[in-house]
Amino acid sequence: MKYYLKLGFVLLIFCAGASGILAYVNSLTTPIIAARKAQDEINAREKLIPGAIFEERESADGDSYFIARDESEQIIGFVFIAAENGYSSKIQTMVGIDADFDIIGIEILDQGETPGLGANCLNESFSAQFAQKDALGLKVDKDDGEIVALSGATITSRTIVNSVRTRANSLKAELETGGEQ
Amino acid sequence: MNFFKELTRGIIKENPIFVIVLGMCPTLAVTTSVENALGMGLAATFVLICSNIMISLIKDVTPASIRIPVYIVVIAAFVSIVDMMMAAYLPALHKSLGLFIPLIAVNCIILGRAEAYASKNNVVMSIADAIGMGLGFTLSLSVVASIREIIGAGTWLNMRVTPASYDPMLIAILAPGAFITLGFLMAIMSMIKEKK
Repeated sequence: MKYYLKLGFVLLIFCAGASGILAYVNSLTTPIIAARKAQDEINAREKLIPGAIFEERESADGDSYFIARDESEQIIGFVFIAAENGYSSKIQTMVGIDADFDIIGIEILDQGETPGLGANCLNESFSAQFAQKDALGLKVDKDDGEIVALSGATITSRTIVNSVRTRANSLKAELETGGEQ
Repeated sequence: MNFFKELTRGIIKENPIFVIVLGMCPTLAVTTSVENALGMGLAATFVLICSNIMISLIKDVTPASIRIPVYIVVIAAFVSIVDMMMAAYLPALHKSLGLFIPLIAVNCIILGRAEAYASKNNVVMSIADAIGMGLGFTLSLSVVASIREIIGAGTWLNMRVTPASYDPMLIAILAPGAFITLGFLMAIMSMIKEKK
C-alpha cells in the first residue's frame, strides 16, 4: 500500500511541476499570440481596402464586420470574415466589398484542406477570380456561376464561394433594416 | 561508445524511419512539401533533445513502474511549450505546422528514444542520440517530401524545378503517394543493407 502511495506521489510531483511550467509559458505567450492575431487581421484588412479607415460594427447575429471609410467619411466598402466548414477544415475567408457589394478582393485567413487539392485555394489564380464579381450572386461554375472551381476540390471552392455569398446577403439585409447612415 | 558514433548512428545505421520504422504518422502526414518536412523534423528534433536531457536527468528518481506516464508528461509538456513559443515568436512556421505539432507528443520516436536510450545513458550521450535521431528523422522526411513534392507539384521548397510542360502527378502529394514513396525508399534502403 505504502509503495503505491509513493508512486502516486512521485507522479503527482512530476505533473505539478509540468503544469507549473506550462502555466508560466502560457501566461508569457498568450498576450503576444493575441496581439499577433489582431495585427494579422489589421494587415489583411489594410491589404483588401488600402488607405481606408475601419470601424468595427457588431451585427444582430453576433458576427462583427468593418465599415471602411475614406478621408471624407464616405463609405467606400465593407470587410467581413466568412467562415464555413469545407472538406476537412473550417475555412476562414476575409472579404472586402465596395458599397455596391462588388468584391474588391478576398484573402483566405485559415484553412486546413488537402494539400495538392483544396489547399490550392491559397493560390493567387483562385482568389484573383473574385475581384469585381457581385458578392450577392456569387456561385461556382458547377452551380452556373462565374467562379471556376479548383480542379478536384469542388467542395472547398463551393464552401468559400457560398460562405462569402451568404455573409454578403446577411450583411445587406442587416444594413437595410439597421438604418445605416 | 564515443560521442560522435552516437551522433551518426541515428542518421543511417539506425535511421528512425527507414530502419527502426518509428514515427510513421508524422512521416505520412507532413511530407507533402519539403518546407513542412523540414519544419516538422526540426521541431521534433528540438523536443527530442529537450526530452532526452530531461529524462536522462530524472532517470534515477523515476520509479521503474511509472516511468512511461512520467515520460509522457515530460514530452507533452515540452510539446506544448514548443507549440506556444512557436505561435508567439514564429507565427509563419506555426501556421503551416500548427496541425502537426500536437502530433509530436504522440510521435513514437520521442517516447521510443526516451525508453530505449535516455533512461539508460548519461546526459551527454543522450543529447548525441537525440541530435542524431532528430537529424535522421529530418533528413528522411526531407527525402520523402522532396520526391513527393517534385513529382506531385513540380516544385522543390516552393521553387519550380520541372519544365512547364510537366503535368504534376497529383497522386504523389495525396495520401497514397506517401505510402508508395515510403515503400520504394524502404526497399532501396534494405537492398543497400543486404549488399553490405
